Formats: sequence, structure tokens, C-alpha cells
Amino acid sequence: MTDETKKKVEDKIVGLVKEYAGKKRFKPIDIVKEMEKEFASEGLTKDDIKAALKEIMDEEKLVYGYAGGSFLALPENQ
Amino acid sequence: MGKKHQTPLLDELKKGKWISFVREIERAAEKSERTEDLLGQVEESYRDKVNHWKHGGMAGVKSYGAGMVGRFSEFPDKYPGIKECHSMRIIPSAGFFYNSDFLRKLADISEKYAGGLLNFHGATGNIQVLGMSQAEAEDVFQAVAELGFDLGGSGSDLRTPSCCAGQARCEFANYDTMKICHDLTEEYLDELHRPAFNYKFKLKFSGCANDCVASAARSDLAFIGTWKDKIKINQDEVKNYVKKLNVQKYVLDKCPTKCMWFEGEKLVIDDENCVKCMHCINVLPKALRSGDEKGASILIGAKAPLVTGPRMGMMLVPFYDINEDAKNDYEWLKGLISNMWEFWDEYGVSRERIGELIGRVGLNTFLEGIGLEPIPEMVGHPRSNPFIKFTEDED
Amino acid sequence: MAEEIKKKRLTDIGPHDYNDYLSPMIKKNYGKWAFHEILDPGTMVHVAENGDKLYTVRMGSPRLVSGSFVRDICDIADKYCGGHLRFTTRNNVEFLIEDEKNVEPLKKDLEKMGYNVGGIGNIIANIVHTQGWIHCHTSASDASGVVKSVMDELYEYFVEDKLPSKTRIAFACCLNMCGSVSSSDIAIVGTHRKPPRIDAERLRNLCEIPSTIAACPTNSIRPDTVDGKPGVKVNEETCVFCGSCYTVCPAMPIANAENDGLSIWVGGKVSNARTKPTFSKLAIPFIPNDPPRWPGVVDAIKTILNAYKEGAEPGERVGEWIERIGWSRFFKITGFPFTKYHIDDFRLAETTMNYSSHTRL
Ligand code: HEM
Ligand code: HEM
Ligand code: HEM
Ligand code: SF4
Ligand code: SF4
Ligand code: SF4
Ligand code: SF4
Repeated sequence: MTDETKKKVEDKIVGLVKEYAGKKRFKPIDIVKEMEKEFASEGLTKDDIKAALKEIMDEEKLVYGYAGGSFLALPENQ
Repeated sequence: MGKKHQTPLLDELKKGKWISFVREIERAAEKSERTEDLLGQVEESYRDKVNHWKHGGMAGVKSYGAGMVGRFSEFPDKYPGIKECHSMRIIPSAGFFYNSDFLRKLADISEKYAGGLLNFHGATGNIQVLGMSQAEAEDVFQAVAELGFDLGGSGSDLRTPSCCAGQARCEFANYDTMKICHDLTEEYLDELHRPAFNYKFKLKFSGCANDCVASAARSDLAFIGTWKDKIKINQDEVKNYVKKLNVQKYVLDKCPTKCMWFEGEKLVIDDENCVKCMHCINVLPKALRSGDEKGASILIGAKAPLVTGPRMGMMLVPFYDINEDAKNDYEWLKGLISNMWEFWDEYGVSRERIGELIGRVGLNTFLEGIGLEPIPEMVGHPRSNPFIKFTEDED
Repeated sequence: MAEEIKKKRLTDIGPHDYNDYLSPMIKKNYGKWAFHEILDPGTMVHVAENGDKLYTVRMGSPRLVSGSFVRDICDIADKYCGGHLRFTTRNNVEFLIEDEKNVEPLKKDLEKMGYNVGGIGNIIANIVHTQGWIHCHTSASDASGVVKSVMDELYEYFVEDKLPSKTRIAFACCLNMCGSVSSSDIAIVGTHRKPPRIDAERLRNLCEIPSTIAACPTNSIRPDTVDGKPGVKVNEETCVFCGSCYTVCPAMPIANAENDGLSIWVGGKVSNARTKPTFSKLAIPFIPNDPPRWPGVVDAIKTILNAYKEGAEPGERVGEWIERIGWSRFFKITGFPFTKYHIDDFRLAETTMNYSSHTRL
């Protein structure tokens, strides 16, 4: 996965969470499945998507939330 | 100096012979002042008969989606010390073996940055440090990491695997529970720290059918030690036991398959009919030992009641040759687990444990999905109803 | 200054190598133990193939412990065990002693310090339990207080071997049952009896409606419109008060001071020895909360234990004893009323699988 595609995946994920903030709680597993479909044409695997997600977390663009199950949240909403 | 809060109800629980948790909270409060407020709030619960924790709100350390559970007081003004009272889960040393040097340092950390209270261990087997605020979490994490310890699982992820004392101190162990527990924790560290499952997934390892870690009742994948060949019999020791114990009544008659009997003074076992239940070995440990071809049975799907009722683990793999697979870095097992997780990812829904998924789609669909063949060991008995769905794929 | 050199943040270092904590004798005899003997309810000895003897002294713990407790046991471990010790699955502390001469002095020291030595053999082991009012928002009762009250009363069974077999008691403060309560000889479970209360306002901000609906095992939650805005309603006819919805949605609190309490379950077992693992079954559907000492619960446990002690054969676990004598006699002997609640009306899991490790190889 090039840095460029990784960036694209990251932006897409963060964008989705922002867009649906307060309406839908994205579970990491759903995001990974969604992105797998979205970027299938670029040959990205589940592990690539997970790596992108890890980077998002490392940079604290998103954080994990928990309510009976884990979900992705914006840091400012926590 | 008097106590910050009067606790007449809790004080009742300092009496009696059994070690008192109230006394422990008080001792923690002597070192970590905030914990006085915990005493105050718990006393209030004892008065009101209801808990006073607020639901909601998060706690965590950077980049991990697991390892901390957030807890907030319902009355932050009255009990400011426990306004935030989060707990941190730390992966234990396999088999729960420690030394005093590590434990002392951990006690110091818990008093310096948290409420001075610990759990040895949580129900999943983590060490838990209780009573820290979000602002302190990173410090606790780093202090613990400097001691060479990492955070455990929580949320929709692989929960911290756990195991019995196994070969370190038990003659019954049929495989090295601590090694495989440690190795797989290391292998799946990312799955522990970064929740990406439908729900929790647990791995537990017991060295024999006594199942001291209760794996068959609470882990999605339970490893229970067993053996393929004959039980080893020391006939002289059998004779010694016969002198002091009614071996017929308490051992032979209790054997679930009645596969043992005496021929004269000689104990005979029909090993082909033995189900490796451990009863005879438990009662006659000096006379009987498990065989040499050792491994583990793998049971799948155990869980607590929520959401759709409790389940026991059910037989999936009667004999897994751990020693052989360990030589190949657990290649076979990792393949099996990966297939399972793929299937669960694909067909499971949110908060559905793998046992519930199997219940919903049927064992056959699951077996096809993970590439295992149906075998008679998996069932208590074959079907007794005639609603067979014949399919086209017969050979 | 040293602090100014920014330290690298440690992360993902993984589990600590347990080999660092094994005593020399354990390392030497790893996988080479021959047999063990229980010397008394506080002491056992494991004998290795080469004749080495490792003594274990077991001590009770409340699980929730202070730093000072940790230092106490460290001092003992340093004095007698070369600093080595471990914990058991049921939260006991075990001191691992290589020199037999140290066994009795160690036990004396523990007793002097007020700690409880015991828990091996045909005893009541430490009660595995959950967080309760001390640390969980779902709890229908406290955990530590009930456990302390029961253990105080049953103390003799922790320090003396006088039961037909080992008896595992477990406690969970709600149906989440953190900690394998569902298959114990005797289980005490926190029980709610009223449906969740819905805070429509908070629900809109805090909860996701589809996952809240999905959380319910009985499909009792339905979408609803509250003041023209989306919300949920609960069908109180079908709700079983499990609290699963509250776990997912904080705006549906279920704890209720007047109606929460405890239920008692019996006859479960995890071990495969002799009979297959089984779940505990309902003995008493409800006992009100009665802090600080929960006398109703303590009495019920004593009743079960006395009946078991009287009636069971040596080696029989509670569930095996009840299977042998039958449930009707169990209720007769204990005097517990059999009610409509004892009859299961929840979905039954499939029953034809082999829920055990029993297998012919
Ligand atoms: C917000 C709610 C919950 C809280 C605060 C909570 C808290 C805990 C804690 C502190 C532990 C011990 C953890 C450890 O040792 O690492 C635990 C274990 C456990 N929890 Fe929960 N829990 C919650 C929800 C649930 C739910 C919804 C379920 C089941 C559907 C559940 C089932 C269990 C089980 C079975 C264990 C024991 C695991 C084992 O023995 O391996 N818990 N929980
Ligand atoms: C077109 C479908 C079916 C036909 C033509 C049919 C016909 C019959 C006949 C002729 C008998 C014997 C009655 C007697 O003893 O006098 C019988 C008995 C019975 N059938 Fe059916 N049957 C059909 C479907 C089913 C199905 C679907 C079931 C169950 C799910 C079923 C269950 C039974 C049972 C339990 C008996 C009684 C057997 C006994 O007592 O020995 N039948 N049926
Ligand atoms: C006489 C033979 C037995 C020996 C030598 C033995 C050994 C042990 C050991 C070493 C532990 C501590 C394990 C750990 O914490 O990881 C343990 C705990 C346990 N054993 Fe056994 N076991 C025996 C028989 C049984 C039987 C027959 C059962 C069940 C019927 C059983 C059930 C348990 C349970 C539930 C625990 C957890 C108890 C605790 O930690 O206090 N054991 N046993
Ligand atoms: S499960 Fe078996 S091998 Fe492991 S400690 Fe218990 S008795 Fe020993
Ligand atoms: S292990 Fe169990 S089944 Fe096998 S001989 Fe012994 S008592 Fe019988
Ligand atoms: S059993 Fe229920 S109330 Fe008790 S700690 Fe677990 S989730 Fe909380
Ligand atoms: S308490 Fe349980 S049964 Fe009742 S509405 Fe909530 S989830 Fe459904």
C-alpha cells in the first residue's frame, strides 16, 4: 500500500465518522468491511485497512469508544 | 485525624474471620487519599441498596482501544476523589507466577497514580489497577510498561488469554499450557489492543479435563489437555491404595464408561473406551498417569448468559497435537483460528459471540466455512429427527 | 537534564516472559512432576520425578487488595520462598516453598498477620466474584459484601476438610456473569425484577437506536416516537430484566433499590471428571438485598451445604448428589419452595452436541 492510498483510506474513514457523528456508531469491524469493498479495485487487503486504522489511532484523529461493543469516535466528543 | 466519611454499615464487614475487603479499601486509602471517597460512595450504596456509578464515558491510552474500563461517580461533587475511577487491565504473567520485586513495584505504581487498589486477578485473568483518572492513565501505562508489562483486552477484541499452572506445578498437565498461552498472546497482540471483532473472543488453556481455568464454561475456544494412548498403571501403588480406600466403589464404579476392572489384584483399563475424564487419576495420583501421546481437545463456543443464553464449549477438535504444531510455530492452529475469525467477521452480527453464530447458522455451515469435516465426536448423538436437507453436492 | 531527553513511548511490548518468575526448583522440574499430596487444607506438596519436593501454602484473598496487602505477601515470599509466589484462578495466593522447614513458620506468620490459610481439598474454595457496588454500574447487588458475609459464616469449611467433595461457590452481581458463575456448585447471582426506565432525552444523545434494539434477547425493545422525535419503548410483558439494553444504552438504567436482589443456583460443574460439565440450576429465584450482611443469602447457602454434607457420598459434587437423589427430593430436603419461576421458558439451546471433552481416541 503506498502512502498515498493509505492517506486516502484514512481520510475516508475519518470523514465517515465525522459525517455520521451523533447518528451512527461505526464499529471497527464494519468500517474495515466497508473499506475493503470500497478499495477492492486498488487491491487493498483487510490487513492494509487495519494498518491505516492503527495509524489513525496513533495520530489520535479518532479514538475508540465502548458501549456494549467497541466503536470509533471523534476525540473531542469523548 | 478522623475518617473523611462515616461508614457504619461497611464497618460491620470488618468483623468476622474472613479477610475483609473493607479493611483493604481502608488500607489503600491510607496511601492514596482519593480512595476515602470510594468508601464514602460504597457506604451510600449500602444505605440506598443501589450502585452509584454513572454509565457512559470512556477511558483509554493512545492508540489502544482496550485495556481500560471507564468508571465515573454519580456524585462527583460529594466524592471528588472518585469522580473518575477507571481501571486498567494488565496482561498477567502466564500461570499467575510472580516475584516480590515486580509486585512491590506495581503496588507503588498503584498508590502513586491510582487508588492504591488492585485485583489479583479480574475474572478474565488480568491484573487490574483501580481508581485512576484519564489524565493519569498514560503515566500508569508507561510505568507498567517499564516493568515489562502490557495492557490486556477489553471491548470487542481478543480478551487476555489465560491458562492453568500446567507443567510448572502440576503432574496432570498434558501440554505446556503456559507456553502456548504466552505464545498466542504475543502472536495476537494487535487483536488484544485494537478491537476489530463483532464481540469479545476468549482463549483459555487447561492442562487436563479438571479444567482449573473453567475454559469449557467461559472461553470461545477452550483447550483441554488429553492423551491418545494408554493410562500408565503402577500396580504396586494400586495395591497400596486398595489397602486404604474402597477403590471399587470410589474409582471403578464412578468411571463414566465403566472401562476399568480388577483381574485378581491387577487393575485393567480398556483404554479404547476411556474418555480421559481424569477421575481415576485424580483419586489415585501415585498409581495412574496419563499416557505419552499427549495433546489437547479443542472446544468451541462457551459463553456467559447475555445475549442469547449461556453455552458450554462443544467439541470441535478431539485431538490437537500441540507439541508437533508448536514446532511449526502453531501453523495449523493459526490457520484454524484465522478461518474462524474470517467466518465470524463475514457472517456474525454485532455483539454475537461465535457460539451464538454457530447456533444461528448451524454447525454444518460453520464447519464448511472453516474447512473441518463433520465427525461423530462432535455430537452427543446423531440426529433423531427426519428433516434432512439433502443437497446436490454429494459425491 | 535527563528528563529532557524525550523517552520513547513504550507500546505493544506484549506479555511478560513467565520464565522470569519461576523458582529454580520449578524451572528444573518443569513438566517432570510425578505426583502431589494434600497435607492439610492449607498445604500440599508436589513431588518431582527426581524426588524434589515443592511445598505450596494457600492463603485466602478478597481479590480486591491494597498495596499494603501486596507488600505483606511479598515480605513473606522474601522471607521463606526466595520471593516466589503465585495466584490461583480463584484469587487465592500460593506461596511456593522449596525448603520444608519453612512451611510451618510461614503459616504461623500468616496467621499472626490475620490472614486465612486453607482452601485445598474437600473445602469451600475462595468465592470467585465480580465488582458489585464497588466498581460496576450494572450491579443488582454488592459482590464483596455478600462474599465476605458468606465466607465469615462458612469459615470452618475453608480451613477444615469436611465436605464430601470440593465445593465451588461463585458470585455475579448481574446476568452478565463476569466469571463463569453459570457452572458452579452454588452460584449467587444479582437479579433485577423491573424493566429498564427510559430517559428519552438522554437516549437521543447517548444511544444508537438499532444497536439498542438488537441488544435485547427477547425482542422487547421497539422503535417509538417520543415528542415527535425517534426513541424506543419497552414491552414490559416480555422483558426479562436482563439489563443487556443498559450495557449498550446508558439512558436505560435498570437498577432499582426496592426490587433488586439475589438468586441462588446449584449443581453446576466445569470439570469433566466423571460427569460432563453442567450449568447451575435455579434453587431460589429471589432474595431481597439486605446489606450489610445479607442474612437470607447466608442462610440459604448454609441450608444447601448442610443438606449436601448429610446426603452426598464421598467424592460427589453438589450436582452429582442432586442428580442421584433427584430434584424433587432436593426441594423437599432444603425446604425451598418450587415455583413457576423454576420452569424454564427461555429458548433452549440445541441439546445434541457433545458439550464436553469426553471422546474416544
Ligand atoms: C458495562 C458492562 C460491563 C462491565 C463494567 C464489565 C466488567 C467486567 C470486568 C471488570 C471483568 C473482569 C475483567 C478481567 O479480568 O479482565 C469482566 C469479566 C467478564 N465479563 Fe464483564 N463487564 C461488562 C459487561 C459484560 C457483558 C455484557 C458480558 C456478557 C455478555 C460480560 C461477561 C463477562 C464475563 C463472562 C467475564 C469473565 C470472563 C472470564 O472469566 O474469562 N461482561 N467484566
Ligand atoms: C404427506 C405426508 C404424510 C402422510 C401421507 C402420512 C401418513 C401417515 C399414515 C398413513 C400414518 C399411519 C396412521 C395410522 O397408524 O393409522 C401416519 C402416522 C404418523 N405420522 Fe404421518 N404422514 C405424513 C406426514 C407426516 C409428517 C410430516 C409427520 C411428522 C412431522 C408425521 C408424523 C406421523 C406420526 C407421529 C404418526 C404416528 C405414528 C405412530 O404412532 O406409529 N406424518 N402418517
Ligand atoms: C487431585 C487432583 C488435582 C490437582 C493436583 C489439582 C491441581 C490444581 C491446581 C494446581 C490448581 C491451581 C491452578 C491455577 O490456578 O491455575 C487447581 C485449581 C483448581 N482446580 Fe484442581 N486439581 C485437582 C483436581 C481437581 C478436580 C477434581 C477439580 C474439579 C472437579 C478441580 C477444579 C479446580 C478448580 C475449579 C480450580 C480453581 C481453584 C482455585 O484456583 O482455587 N481440580 N487445581
Ligand atoms: S487443569 Fe489439570 S493440568 Fe491444569 S492445573 Fe488443573 S489439574 Fe493441573
Ligand atoms: S480417565 Fe475417566 S474414563 Fe478414563 S479410565 Fe479413568 S475414570 Fe474411566
Ligand atoms: S456481573 Fe454484571 S454487575 Fe457484576 S461486574 Fe460483571 S457486568 Fe458488572
Ligand atoms: S432488560 Fe433485557 S429483556 Fe428487558 S428490554 Fe432490556 S434487553 Fe430486553
